[in-house]
Amino acid sequence: MNIFTVSILFCLFFLLVVIDLIRRKKLAERYSVLWIVISFVMLVLSIFPGTLEYISRLLNVVYAPSLLFFLGYLFAVIILLHLTTVISKLHRQMTRLIQEVALLQDQMAELKRERSTR
Amino acid sequence: MKSLIIIPAYNEEATIGQVIASIKKAAPEFDIVVINDGSLDNTEQVARSTGLAHVISLPHNVGIGGAMQTGYMYAKRNGYDVAVQMDADGQHDPAYLAALLRGLESGEADCMIGSRFVEKTAYRSSLSRRTGILFFSWLLSMITKKKFTDPTSGFRAVNRHVISVFADYYPDDYPEVETIVLLDRLGYKVRETSVLMHVRQAGSSSITPWKSVYYMIKVSLAVFMTLLRTKGRVEA
Repeated sequence: MNIFTVSILFCLFFLLVVIDLIRRKKLAERYSVLWIVISFVMLVLSIFPGTLEYISRLLNVVYAPSLLFFLGYLFAVIILLHLTTVISKLHRQMTRLIQEVALLQDQMAELKRERSTR
Repeated sequence: MKSLIIIPAYNEEATIGQVIASIKKAAPEFDIVVINDGSLDNTEQVARSTGLAHVISLPHNVGIGGAMQTGYMYAKRNGYDVAVQMDADGQHDPAYLAALLRGLESGEADCMIGSRFVEKTAYRSSLSRRTGILFFSWLLSMITKKKFTDPTSGFRAVNRHVISVFADYYPDDYPEVETIVLLDRLGYKVRETSVLMHVRQAGSSSITPWKSVYYMIKVSLAVFMTLLRTKGRVEA
């Protein structure tokens, strides 16, 4: 078994894990698109290693596997940036909800007090 | 005129009771709302037991900006004409409320800031704090072409229009400088009046040397972003 077979098997496994996570609702579809795309890219590169070398030659990359590292790094940075924007949005929404809950609780206590004094 | 004093409080059980009492004594015409920002001590109970303030408790700690904004949301929904923000640690003297309000009533300003430095006062602060104040004064004079002697002061009074702006948007943390820029860019008038401030009665300032570095960077970035966001909304 050579490295190509191993990486094809690994990519297939990875893709299956992603799909299973979506099926079990552990991963929302909207956040899974990037992962599915990257799984397919990795799969294609493993099945046709010539593709990687072809692209490397086009970009004047001497050592083809380094292109793979570069793509992996690029992907990691993109997904991190994406996640940070998601966290920022969640943070903003959570603050608003906490504020609304506090104001509602206050209003409810006020109504109760009014009713009891009447 | 319906006026509200907003006091955000996080673990201020030692001072909050006295602060509420002294405000009510000096300015009984003001309603007081205490925003308890998920305190771990008895801030809420102490504030309630005074019977002089309305207390709203946030179920989690959201930080000074989120707590202050809750107060503005409350002010907007209950139709207040004026909102004044004051600290829970007794730094801000209710004797100056009238001076702040005068600026709003005369229409001279939409937001009045109580400054420690308009006139020479006895107030002394740490070197890092003074450096920060100088830096932000300079930054604000570059951007707004106006002079702010105490841009980090949290003793402020605002009118109905500004209450509405703050209820919709208020910075997360270190909001003082950013809000001046925001209001100025939106065309509201921000003015200062001289006040005396007391040394805090208990607790310690939230500004440590490490945090002050973050403070400078965060606030400068926020000011720059405010400029970008409001671009085109102001005449050149």
